[in-house]
Amino acid sequence: MAKSTALIFGYNKYSHEIIANVKDKYESIRIFSLLEEDIQNSSIDIELFDLSDEWTEIHKNVDLGSSMAFCVLESTAENIFLTISLRANFKDLTIIAIASNEESANKLKMAGATKVIPLVETTSDIITNMLEKPISNKVLHSILYEESALKIAQIKISKESHFNDEQLTSIDWTRYNGIIVLSVMHEDKKSEFIYSSKAKRHIIKEGDILVIVGYEEDIKEFENKIGSKRYVNWSNWSW
Amino acid sequence: MLKRWILDFAYYLDTSKSYQKRKRFFYNILENEKNKYKKYIDLFMVFLIFISVAVLIREVKHHINDYLLFFSNYVISFIFFVEYILRLWVSSSVSKIIVNRAEHDSFLHRDVNLYKAFKEVLHVKLLYMLKPKVIIDFFAILPFFHELRLLRIFILFRVFKLFRYAKSFQTLSSVLATKKFEFLTLGIFASVVIFVSSVLIYVMEGNNPNSPINTFYEAIYWAIVTISTVGYGDIIPVSHEGRFVAMLVIMAGIAVLAFTTSLFVSAFTEKLDEIKEVKTIEDVSKLKKFYLICGYEQVAREVARKLSNNGNRVIVIDENTERIALAKKDGYSALNYNPGRVDSYEKLNIDMEKQVKAILCLREDDIENVYTALTIRSFNKNVFILSLLINNSNRKKLNFAGINSIVYPQELVGLITKELVGKPVAFEVIHELRSETADVKIDELGITQRIAENFATVSELGNKDFRVVLLGIYKHKTDHFLFNPLDSTLLEVGDYLLVIGYEVFILEFEKYLHTKVNNG
Repeated sequence: MAKSTALIFGYNKYSHEIIANVKDKYESIRIFSLLEEDIQNSSIDIELFDLSDEWTEIHKNVDLGSSMAFCVLESTAENIFLTISLRANFKDLTIIAIASNEESANKLKMAGATKVIPLVETTSDIITNMLEKPISNKVLHSILYEESALKIAQIKISKESHFNDEQLTSIDWTRYNGIIVLSVMHEDKKSEFIYSSKAKRHIIKEGDILVIVGYEEDIKEFENKIGSKRYVNWSNWSW
Repeated sequence: MLKRWILDFAYYLDTSKSYQKRKRFFYNILENEKNKYKKYIDLFMVFLIFISVAVLIREVKHHINDYLLFFSNYVISFIFFVEYILRLWVSSSVSKIIVNRAEHDSFLHRDVNLYKAFKEVLHVKLLYMLKPKVIIDFFAILPFFHELRLLRIFILFRVFKLFRYAKSFQTLSSVLATKKFEFLTLGIFASVVIFVSSVLIYVMEGNNPNSPINTFYEAIYWAIVTISTVGYGDIIPVSHEGRFVAMLVIMAGIAVLAFTTSLFVSAFTEKLDEIKEVKTIEDVSKLKKFYLICGYEQVAREVARKLSNNGNRVIVIDENTERIALAKKDGYSALNYNPGRVDSYEKLNIDMEKQVKAILCLREDDIENVYTALTIRSFNKNVFILSLLINNSNRKKLNFAGINSIVYPQELVGLITKELVGKPVAFEVIHELRSETADVKIDELGITQRIAENFATVSELGNKDFRVVLLGIYKHKTDHFLFNPLDSTLLEVGDYLLVIGYEVFILEFEKYLHTKVNNG
């Protein structure tokens, strides 16, 4: 389990979906709402919060290093204020925020959100891909979101891995039948496409993360063969 | 006996499929704007008109080849005559009028009155023949009798025939027709001023030996030239009285000119939106493939931008004028039509199945999207419809309305957060593959007959040489995705290669697949 507590700010249709999807991944989920009526009308436990909160209670009771905050307030201005307030108080907290458009996404990033989901952008990306690249969309969608046999996984190169100090392109990936290595992420937190010129010269080191696609059993076999394990870590990465 | 024969013949024509089919054919190529062959007939006619006029101009000072003259005077006249007769024929149905009269009379237990039927036929046909366009058509045939020198000037009527074929002329006349009353008032005012000033100038200057105005005709000519503010200066008043009249006419002229200009401007301003709309519909009906977006809100705006960046044509319809103005500002063909009305699609004059790639119901309101989808499904069962879903409790309703694909943004948020929490790097990799701004892309390459002939199996593709990852093959026959296919996998027509790589390398790889075909 990567994170112990999920802090969801806002009680609405987005928080419902988030709760449904992440409840298995956290030890505890705490939901906060600005409205008292949400607390009265809801069957689940909701805590009241105020945008001027100093978050002393959270400070005391939550292990912030292994928690993740979801800012899903409907009002963009309130969501930005909440994000900035959380970031000001908790330097290392992972904050995921929802933005209605690109403009508010930028503001949320400036406010300190670790990851912003621009709703309009994401929805329109999905629609465009459904129309223009239906096959790849279907395949990627099933890899990412559905319970398909095909999975995407990130493997961290461990100290014992026999890939250590080998050049990325010198490895014959065909030995590992069944899986496809898409990219590698190294120290600088940049994910490099496997065929990029940078990745070509890259020498695999301990701590690098390989992003691979394959069937569950093939991924397991790959893990065993290279002596590394699947790994999840939240950090500030980018492509 | 004759009456019986005429009635039988009328009934025969009215029910004969081959006769009606032929008539419809001629109607379509001559009068039906939606017919794709009409424009060729129109172009041919315009070509003939220009030949006639060129011959007329050349004939003024040069000798014309006898064959060309024959062609202009007889052949073209004959073609125009045939066109005239065909238009007259298809303008209304004589047999239908006779049959209707016969039915009417027999219903009332009377003798069929053919006289009344023929009177009606004559009335209908005369009404048609007296239309300005048809009168011009008639005069355009007259140069056939070119021996009568005066009739040769009727060749000019052929130029007027251009009105029939040039849509902008029709638009102009329809715009000006909306200001009929104002133009009539202006015409009467100008005529009165011209008449009064002609009389005045003639009275003042007619007997003056120094004045160039000697006849009333010259007086009218002077008045018109002056009132129009042209003022050639070939005829000028010389007496004080005459000059005083001139001053009045000049002032009246300014008023007439200003009035005329403002009439034209206001007529066009009022009709501008309508003219633009007609033009947009015309352009849309000519498009081969496009996406039709119903409702232009935030998501629609972004989708339109992405689709059009991918080289697609996008047409937007929305009942809200502000949203349509925004769509137009964003550079799309947009029409202020209600997507929930069948006549909106009828007005568009498009073939849904052939021209529309997909209809996207992107209003951020489930009720509106369901209403739009049901409207479309009421006249077309097959066109692909994609819709946004705002409230999950309405999903069933959207399915029931016949929507093929539903996108529910809230669900996406849930799924995205799930993946973000579990596999942040992997998620970002896949997310970036789908994003339009990334260098590394995922693409689909279709296997054509030629490619299949030249590349039998996966091993022959050589995608690695192009730094392209082959993620898998979508097998068309079995509707199945083969991930990471074995080298021996056969490539078949209709299959799709799912490749990942830098955009430029994918393009090069695709080019290679086709080029090898060309070489081989």
